[in-house]
Amino acid sequence: MSVKELRRQAREALADKNLAGALGRFGDGYAVSREEIFRGRDFQALREEVGQIKGHAALRMGELADRFQAAAEGLGARVFRAATALDALAYIAGLAREHGVDLIVKSKSMASEEMHLNRYLGEQGLNVAETDLGEWIIQLSGQRPSHMVMPAIHLTREEVAAIFSRETGRTVHPDIPEMVELARRELRRKFLAAGLGVSGANVAVAETGTVVMVTNEGNGRLTTSLPPVHVVIVGLEKLVPRLADVAPILEVLPRSATAQPITSYVTMITGPVGAEGPDGRDYPRKELHIVLLDNGRTRMAADPVFREALRCVRCAACLNVCPVYQQVGALFGDVYTGGIGAVLTAFFTDPQRAGEIQNLCLDCGRCREVCSAGIDLPGLIQELRRRTVAGAGLPRTRKVFFEKVLTDRRLFHTLLRVASRAQKPFVRGGRIRHLPLFFAGLAQGRVLPPIAASPFRDLAASLPRPAVARGRVGFFAGCLIDFVYPGIGAAVQKVCTHLGLETVIPLGQTCCGFPAHHAGVPDVAAHLARQNIAAFGQAGVDTVVTACPTCAEALKVLYPRLLGEDREWGDRALALAGKVVDFASFAWAHRGKLRLEKEPWICAYHDSCHLKRGLGVSEEPRRLLAAAGASIAEAVGGGTCCGFGGSYALDLPEVSRAVLERRLQALTAAGAPVVALDCPGCLLQIAGGLEDSGSPVTVRHTAQIIAERLEPTQTM
Amino acid sequence: MNTGTPGRDTEALYGAFVGSSRALGAEVYRAGDPAAARELIERLVRETGAREVAVASAPLLDALEAEKAVTAAGAVVATGSVRERAVRAGLGITAFELAIAATGTLVQDATALDRRLVSMLPPVHLAVVPLSGLRADLREVMAELAERQMPGYLALVSGPSRTADIERVLTIGVHGPGRLMVVFVDGEGGRVP
Repeated sequence: MSVKELRRQAREALADKNLAGALGRFGDGYAVSREEIFRGRDFQALREEVGQIKGHAALRMGELADRFQAAAEGLGARVFRAATALDALAYIAGLAREHGVDLIVKSKSMASEEMHLNRYLGEQGLNVAETDLGEWIIQLSGQRPSHMVMPAIHLTREEVAAIFSRETGRTVHPDIPEMVELARRELRRKFLAAGLGVSGANVAVAETGTVVMVTNEGNGRLTTSLPPVHVVIVGLEKLVPRLADVAPILEVLPRSATAQPITSYVTMITGPVGAEGPDGRDYPRKELHIVLLDNGRTRMAADPVFREALRCVRCAACLNVCPVYQQVGALFGDVYTGGIGAVLTAFFTDPQRAGEIQNLCLDCGRCREVCSAGIDLPGLIQELRRRTVAGAGLPRTRKVFFEKVLTDRRLFHTLLRVASRAQKPFVRGGRIRHLPLFFAGLAQGRVLPPIAASPFRDLAASLPRPAVARGRVGFFAGCLIDFVYPGIGAAVQKVCTHLGLETVIPLGQTCCGFPAHHAGVPDVAAHLARQNIAAFGQAGVDTVVTACPTCAEALKVLYPRLLGEDREWGDRALALAGKVVDFASFAWAHRGKLRLEKEPWICAYHDSCHLKRGLGVSEEPRRLLAAAGASIAEAVGGGTCCGFGGSYALDLPEVSRAVLERRLQALTAAGAPVVALDCPGCLLQIAGGLEDSGSPVTVRHTAQIIAERLEPTQTM
Repeated sequence: MNTGTPGRDTEALYGAFVGSSRALGAEVYRAGDPAAARELIERLVRETGAREVAVASAPLLDALEAEKAVTAAGAVVATGSVRERAVRAGLGITAFELAIAATGTLVQDATALDRRLVSMLPPVHLAVVPLSGLRADLREVMAELAERQMPGYLALVSGPSRTADIERVLTIGVHGPGRLMVVFVDGEGGRVP
């Protein structure tokens, strides 16, 4: 499937307003209740503890599996080591046949979804009933779960009533308590009749052979208590060494999953226990079968990068905060959904699909903030993208752009100048509303600024400089400021001049390389990194200011990573990184010398992903704006991505636009006439969206605001 | 399970348990001695209106003469196989060993089948816990468990059975009991023999 096909499917998913409505409402509520449930707790310390437990366990997965097997078998359980999903399927179907089982009841298990257990057992003529309410609804409707924790979150009560009506052959009203009661009655009959119960596990303890399971409904307890045969499917990543490792996982999992301090039921099973069969027969020790499922996990553990994903506790917090998942739901995934879904899909279910869906990630970094085990999910998706591109290559036009154009600064800048003339037919009143060819999507629902007639690099020399400079600062413009928003560059230079600092703009600087890195071509990004490092190496400055957080993150974080191993460039990358500062932090640090007008005004503030999460800067711009008289009207969903994501807006314009729409609602609801922000990419996206919708709210870069509110200086 | 940990601030733990357990929708009661506990159970059984009550065997319930309380309330103690008793009963009574103050959680060695079915199948569950079984948090309980042989089936119960699978609307009593009553017992009767 091409990106084009993905875009088509995304359009389809976006057309389902129920889905985005339900996921969006849940996402907003989740953010609030999650914060509440972790209040007064050291989330960072807790997730580090969990990350360490699971991280160490992943390194010794095979050994833990052996120890678990020995302990469980010592208690009389039977342990089956399934190398593949098919091995596990055949084993479970064999058990059911051997015991002459008519009906199997199942409680929730993502591992069973991963192996498509229901479909397989159905094909074998076996009758399976899902007993988790959400899973049962999904099973009856023939769909697949849209969320790891809440499988039927995309369905309305009316849709559920229709599904239940079809199942029971009578009219079921869309009344939730009534429908829950119906499920209790229907499934209770099945529980009492079932000959085999299949459950999953959330943790498996090697030293004791214990499996731990969390549920809210109680179906897990009935599945493991009523039928005389019990099969537990345990993914190898669930193994931990000691019983003491269970508590931290149970502390973080329900809090992150559903903002509960603990689930209604936690069950710990250590060896076979007694049962009474549906026929009244007494089983002093029933059969307990534990299927230890590998299915790609050993391969994942051997991968030095992706091993990290084995720390996942399946809380789905990453889905709950993902702005793309909130719009397209299960399209962002396969069996496992969301960001973690893309990664698990690559190893467990469908590598090709993983290569496709990784395109949906905006790289906004929100999931990394909430991960229960501290997984760098955006980093893993980036690596997935890099490997996908290394294997399949880039689409031809993009390959030419990155490898031939972007790496040749003169050619790139010449083309931008040509484009500034070529775009003229599309510019109306200083704005672009329509674009031809594959750029068309960009101008949908978004009014674009044209490429500037003169780039900032041509303007800079004509702007005022301090009469007597008390120092020099370098300015890294970045493509958007240089060629689209030269006014932001001029504003930065005005502030520097006000501070008595000379602005140095090395002409050898070029694209920061982040778009190439994001597209999965790190070689091109490294090439650009060297060009920029060289350009600033000769500038003789100790500080390099940039008004683009993406560029700042590239220079500060990405370059040392890209060139860390490079003997010639590694140290130079670090030296440059140490000098780079975003505009807001720079200006805030020099606040003692800034003379700002103080009359009060109001603005909303939009945090850029790269500034807030990439660089950890969110207070400085707010304080700086406040020093210039602003009261900040905070928008709900603080820190949510605007949906720009560079080339993302070109590949998946409809998704980008849908993410933007939600952000615009929150920003305009804040009720301020101005939205302040620090990123030219966010500016392009948010101002374009507001203008397209006819909103009177204006959008300004913090540098522009500060430059306008400077009191006249005497040093000129 | 050992439930004797002298010198702890039981009252503070009890107060915390009441708060966290009620927040989950459970009802929490307390009896000062075995006789008061018996009266309390009798009153609660009568109030539920259950005609048939299943009682899972436990030394604590024997010590409190829980079955006498059931008949005194005008209900019948269910008889027959474990399944039959649990399926028919309108109320199930079981004993728990520990309680976790921080999360309002009850802890039970549920290896015996009657404890599992009697606490799960009836629509109402009455859980009796010794006050001396109160612990601060899950970590404390897990550390205590790690010191001995794990029971075959350990059950942690926090509030009634719940779901939010349809439109995220919280609904009580899906597969397990929709009503959970917790009775703490002080003093001699609260000590597992």
